[in-house]
Amino acid sequence: MALTDRKAWKNLREHAVKTGNLHLSELFGEDGDRFEAFNLQHDNLLFDYSKQRINHETIELLCKLARECDLKGWIEKLFSGDAINNSENRAALHAALRLPADSELIVDSENIVSGIHDTLGRMQQIVERIHAGQWRGFSGRPVDTIVNIGVGGSDLGPFMASKALSDARVPGARKLEIIFVSTMDGSQIAQRLDSLDPETTLFIISSKSFTTIDTLSNANTALQWLRQASGAEDEVLYRRHFIGISADNERMADWGIPPNSRLALWDWIGGRYSMWSAIGLPIALEIGMDGFRQMLAGAHAMDRHFREERFEKNLPVMLAMIGIWNINFLNIRAHAILPYDGRLSHLPAYLEQLEMESNGKSVSRDGKDIDYNTCPILWGEVGPNAQHAFYQLLHQGTEPVMCDFVVPARRYHESGNPELQQQHKLTLANCLAQSRILALGDTVINEDNTTPFFKRYSGNQPCTTLMLDEVTAYSFGQLIALYEHKVFVQSVIWNINPFDQWGVELGKQVATTLIDPLSQTSPQADFDSSTNGLLKSILGHQEQDS
Amino acid sequence: MKIAVWGDELTAWVTAGALAETGNDIAFVSNSQIDDPITLMGSSIRNEPGLRDLICNEVEHKRLRFVQTRTALGIQAHILSMNPNQFDEAHDIVEQLVRKAEGPLLIINQSHFGFGATDRLQALLNRRKKQIVVYFAENISEGEALDRIRNPKSLILGSDDEAATRTLEALFKPFSAQLENRFVMTPREAEFTKLAIIGMLALRIGYTNELANLGEQLGVDIDVIRRGMGADPRIGRHHLSPGCGFGGNNFPQTLKSLARLLSENNESTLMQTVLQENENQKELPFRKLWQHYKADLHERKIAIWGASFKPGSASLDAAPSLRVIDAIVAQQAEVRVHDPEAHENVHHIYHDNPYVKIINGKYDALKNVDALVLLTEWPEYWSPDFELVRKQMKSPVIVDGRNIYDRDLIESRGFTYYGIGR
Repeated sequence: MALTDRKAWKNLREHAVKTGNLHLSELFGEDGDRFEAFNLQHDNLLFDYSKQRINHETIELLCKLARECDLKGWIEKLFSGDAINNSENRAALHAALRLPADSELIVDSENIVSGIHDTLGRMQQIVERIHAGQWRGFSGRPVDTIVNIGVGGSDLGPFMASKALSDARVPGARKLEIIFVSTMDGSQIAQRLDSLDPETTLFIISSKSFTTIDTLSNANTALQWLRQASGAEDEVLYRRHFIGISADNERMADWGIPPNSRLALWDWIGGRYSMWSAIGLPIALEIGMDGFRQMLAGAHAMDRHFREERFEKNLPVMLAMIGIWNINFLNIRAHAILPYDGRLSHLPAYLEQLEMESNGKSVSRDGKDIDYNTCPILWGEVGPNAQHAFYQLLHQGTEPVMCDFVVPARRYHESGNPELQQQHKLTLANCLAQSRILALGDTVINEDNTTPFFKRYSGNQPCTTLMLDEVTAYSFGQLIALYEHKVFVQSVIWNINPFDQWGVELGKQVATTLIDPLSQTSPQADFDSSTNGLLKSILGHQEQDS
Repeated sequence: MKIAVWGDELTAWVTAGALAETGNDIAFVSNSQIDDPITLMGSSIRNEPGLRDLICNEVEHKRLRFVQTRTALGIQAHILSMNPNQFDEAHDIVEQLVRKAEGPLLIINQSHFGFGATDRLQALLNRRKKQIVVYFAENISEGEALDRIRNPKSLILGSDDEAATRTLEALFKPFSAQLENRFVMTPREAEFTKLAIIGMLALRIGYTNELANLGEQLGVDIDVIRRGMGADPRIGRHHLSPGCGFGGNNFPQTLKSLARLLSENNESTLMQTVLQENENQKELPFRKLWQHYKADLHERKIAIWGASFKPGSASLDAAPSLRVIDAIVAQQAEVRVHDPEAHENVHHIYHDNPYVKIINGKYDALKNVDALVLLTEWPEYWSPDFELVRKQMKSPVIVDGRNIYDRDLIESRGFTYYGIGR
């Protein structure tokens, strides 16, 4: 049945007509205890959705819609390894990466948990060796710089998590510098190589397919740099200066990575869901394997909660369904991610990929065009900084925007530094103030009617607050798994496949058709007139050089 | 003179033995239930040449006995021969002495607690009651400790009390046969002089190693260079031998405190650099091995000759061998260690590491190995039967961390040779 034909969908439409115009200040006025009714907690993670434009009936209807869409059945398919990535005929088993060692999950008559933990064990060996100063470069000096070369899921997740968990850095990591290099144009790697010591630099080449051109071109630049600086044989360089992480063992071998330096991925892990696998090696190098396993444990706790808890009390389900309400019934098409903690500065970029690459689709699982909105535009920035940038639009613009505030309740409490503790208090105060004004407008300070319009805040922007007790490996694991499952729930409602990304393929293909024309002095190009014009201009500039 | 000796360092034992031998009544403070001197000394100290016999003899003649703290607190003269990091305990002892003593006290501090420590202890005492702390810059060196204390060439006393100076001079009078210089200065000056001497020696070693590493890259033999340098009377020959780094307990600890003084007061990183480079130098033999085997030592067997930080000592304190062994076993390669004295200490550290084998005979250690790494220049390693050496080894590769072998000679016998700076 088409989504828009479902009974709950129609009921939600009617409900939206009745209640959609209610202002959040009215909703708070009606029910002084909204927070009590509209917050959920899992371990130490608090999810406050009382500043959403909902009432009890909204929640009831949203849960009905989830049931009509057989969400429960889909969750089971997800966890049991059904090939729910139907366009590529694959399972999506990122949650399996978080299973404890003694559990079992049979896929194609094989218990995949043992393979996962074997790889974790191999990661542990690598991490311990590097932390002990016993991963040696070609000259025998210990490696002290790690360069992670990857892009998309092989970059955003590890980059975000390493930054987020930098306070949990283990002693062995203190002497290590971990650098992330992703851009195709070589600007990051070229800049860094100047200041790095080839004797002590180790490159991690992360690519699920090991064909990603961005990554391989950076890797080749690194190899060339090592060759020139070392005079060592290639065999030595491959053995001591590269670790490969990929699902394609053969391609890693072809590139030159020896067996002991290869870490396995699997087909059933999507790139943007892969920081829990060996792709997370830079995270483990930062926080140690104990920390990494804590992160997995936090995510696993969220997995169990998601799988077992009834919808009304289920954080990922409610986070997702409230998104559905905002997008499909209140017609909100923009979503801001606002962490109030500088360590979470890369969370917005990570979620941009997770949400928009997963659910930025307009064709249903059965290949039909769909007639409702899916993933909105998602962006964000560290909240206090964004206050000086785009909050103006949130407060007084014409676009309705839903906002996620992400903040830890405690920070610096063990630092013994009162100035920093005061800074955290200030940050918390700003976080609470902003979501309060966004939701309620200037009613919060009882502005009278004489206030000029340009000073007025109309409010009614729906806000969610996700509050962690503190940013630890465990709570961070919970948080990211929460968003992963939220994305999955929305895909189920929208009847789209969140695990493929065909929209990024054509660009690669067309780019290859442009390599040759760019290398010729007089292009025989026959593209659209814009492209032809641009090509001509580029070649004109290049002629000046030669 | 009746003297209590505090501390369980080599210096404490050597000082106690030497002073007992010259007729003093030594109370060695030990709160252990054991009174067998050999057990009390522990393996690294009892192997110090001549020391075991001396101590046993003095105990037998009752010039040296072991006493509890309570008894020692009743004595007037004290020697503090403690580890550089035991200042708090020394402080505690002096406080207890002050509480107990009505009259004069003489405390001789010969521990390297760093600059200003003697004055800090003096501040606890009452100078009017003739309670005095002096500093004695000992010059003891493992392997030749007894000789150093019995026949010093110079004495540096840090004392600003004449009576105390006279007592101290009398105490050390029996050891003045070869004495060329005697200096009395303030305790702070004496502590500083001690630091300055140690720092200078370290600089010489560090500088020589730097030159050796550079010479290696430029194809120049450091052995030739250092002989030329040493012939210059302004420089002299001592402490110009390149090698795989210095270790030990007191020497590096004293250097660390000098490095701290320099960086805190002067923002100078000179000594820190010397110490850091020394740590790097300790790994040099490993790196030679690593490069020889193209960065792959997995499942190889490596013999090590000499584990103690220097010949004549069983101590592994900060020894280069620790760094080299750790580096080799981290590659899952087997290490076969031989040392004339240090087996017990090697066992203590590595007994549960299956990759470390302690071998009794030096030639047995070479059985089937891919290389021999020499780290401590014990006399018995200087002139081995190279024919037998080569026969035992799987691959005739020698890494000479102390430059004791003649390169041409070794190579002419079919070995691949790596030295330091050659």
